[in-house]
Amino acid sequence: MSEVEESGRDALTGLPENAQESMVGTMFIPPLFKALGYNQLEIFPQYNTGNGSVDFALRHNQAGDDIFLQTATNPNVLVEIKGRDYSLDEESTRYKSTVKQLKRYLLSPECTNTQWGIITNSCHIQMFRKHGKVIHPVTQCLEIKVTNIDDIIKTIKQKIYSPFTALTVAIYNNKGGVGKTTTTVNLAAILTILDKRVLVVDFDPNQRDLTNYLNVSPNKTFYSLLDDINEVVNIRDVIRPYAVKSGNSKQRLVFDVIPCDEGLGSKSDSELEQLFKTARLKEILNRVKYDYDYILIDSPPNWRFFSASAVYAADVVLIPTKHNNPFSLVNAGITIKSHIPQVQAVKKDGTPIALPIFWNGERITDPARQVAHKLMDEIIKQSHKTIDLFPYFYPRHTSTNKDKYVFELPSYADIAKYTFDKVPAVYKDKTAREYYLSLAKEYFLQ
Amino acid sequence: MKLDTIGNLMLLYMTQISIKESISVPSFLIKAAADRMRKPDARNWVPVIVREVENNKYEVIGNSYVYAVAEEAQLERVWCIIADTSEETENIAKILSSEQTPKINLTSATYDDIKAALQYLIEKPGSELKGVSVQTATARIDEAGDRKYWKNLDPITKLKCGITVAKVKALNEIFYLTPEEPESKSTDLQKMTVPQLKALAKERGIPGYSKKTKAVLIKELSGG
Repeated sequence: MSEVEESGRDALTGLPENAQESMVGTMFIPPLFKALGYNQLEIFPQYNTGNGSVDFALRHNQAGDDIFLQTATNPNVLVEIKGRDYSLDEESTRYKSTVKQLKRYLLSPECTNTQWGIITNSCHIQMFRKHGKVIHPVTQCLEIKVTNIDDIIKTIKQKIYSPFTALTVAIYNNKGGVGKTTTTVNLAAILTILDKRVLVVDFDPNQRDLTNYLNVSPNKTFYSLLDDINEVVNIRDVIRPYAVKSGNSKQRLVFDVIPCDEGLGSKSDSELEQLFKTARLKEILNRVKYDYDYILIDSPPNWRFFSASAVYAADVVLIPTKHNNPFSLVNAGITIKSHIPQVQAVKKDGTPIALPIFWNGERITDPARQVAHKLMDEIIKQSHKTIDLFPYFYPRHTSTNKDKYVFELPSYADIAKYTFDKVPAVYKDKTAREYYLSLAKEYFLQ
Repeated sequence: MKLDTIGNLMLLYMTQISIKESISVPSFLIKAAADRMRKPDARNWVPVIVREVENNKYEVIGNSYVYAVAEEAQLERVWCIIADTSEETENIAKILSSEQTPKINLTSATYDDIKAALQYLIEKPGSELKGVSVQTATARIDEAGDRKYWKNLDPITKLKCGITVAKVKALNEIFYLTPEEPESKSTDLQKMTVPQLKALAKERGIPGYSKKTKAVLIKELSGG
């Protein structure tokens, strides 16, 4: 079935070569919004986000008297347009600045509930998703052609009208010993305290740290789920709740876990590759993406079947490092420069993207910090021909402000202590709770 | 780490795999082979060639015989090579698993190529071309001066080499054509005299040719 009427198709694909922004706005945008299912009362032009005006904001009218054009509250989609003469080619600096502009609008106070952002100049179009503080692409920057306009509209509509609630996060560093499991478990715990629905996936069968840590065992094995091509295994039989009573209140805190089983660990990576596609974990998790706010995947070091599957399943990748472990920083660079782009090339939906790295749980002296900065500067310099690592190493760094801020999760001996008690430190200790709250706020919560 | 499955050897469930064209192999061969496959630890060391047509659904494009045996033996899973989804790959897989005869390009084929191809076809059991002389047919096809312009195989029926209108279709199994466009006639027309052009126009049935100028004649002859 065609998504766009014949007349609309001409307007969407037949703009003159040098059409300027105003022409894109009057010729291209109306049929686009119509095809996406928005009527004139659901489109607010020059919407003031509180952080600058975005070209268009969209939201469907609610039952009753809530007309978006009049109330102008809670936009669902922001659309930033450019002229055809303004290149949105993914490599161009103009593309990068347009994405930055869109992100600024999406993170503005008026847009806390906004879910989507779109940039287009009528030659290219790209859609982004906003989940709390995280903004990640959900399509590549697509070239609009007569032959693909229907598919593009269909993709965008499918996302707007049945949005997943879950953000899927892989916790990964090619180097081991950076505290991946501790991060995963405590992040899950703090998000649960904050009333988020969380699923934790242990996809590190050789260590099964997380499964041991939380002391959970499944009815049916993870392996049986991966093997379940005909979808006869109920994923709920594999998911186990992990519950604790919160310290002072009587409140019961629960997050869900997919534990790992020995069956998976007993097979080599090459055997597993003969049984399962890299996309298999993602296919399984798609079944529960409407049931959670966060899906956190603990993955093993080394770029093999398990970690590649975890990164493939993810929207974003959180990379813990240790400032005093140079290999963890070098490997963070490799993950961002090489592994993630490999996955993006196969997935073709713009994901996953790396979140900025952080220094995990070590005491940091000033001289040691200088040494780490020096190494990170060196890694950035060596990689600059392939990729600009600044946004991933120093997220506040700009051409005018050479800010070298890196988020630090402070050292705290008790975090490790609770590992032996098989309880996330966040549930037992106020300081740990504050630390992981700051991690959650740094990356995920708006 | 390779992220897609193209080129991988994978152990797939039989229920994930379908077959587009059924094969015609004597049932004895399938049944007897299936008996060997029913033994514990038996493994199809010759893999089925498949392509992924939709998510987790595969289609056989080569070694259909192995698939038929696996089905007969009621194997739960079968070893497969995952090929890409292009048409060219499908052709190659079929040719290499002897399920399709490779064709040669008759537009540019040499004498030896044509001879070997015809020999294969004529000597095949039950050949429709039985009785056709390989030597005669090869020689006449090879010598046909306009062969590079042939758009189909019909001109062969006029070579008087025993390949009649009824038999010529069989040649499609071994030959294909990529005809060259005949050179533009207009350059030749330029060299012709006016009486020659008029004669040609008469032949082609162009009305009022006798009163037309050279330029008009050339235009109409090359256009028609």
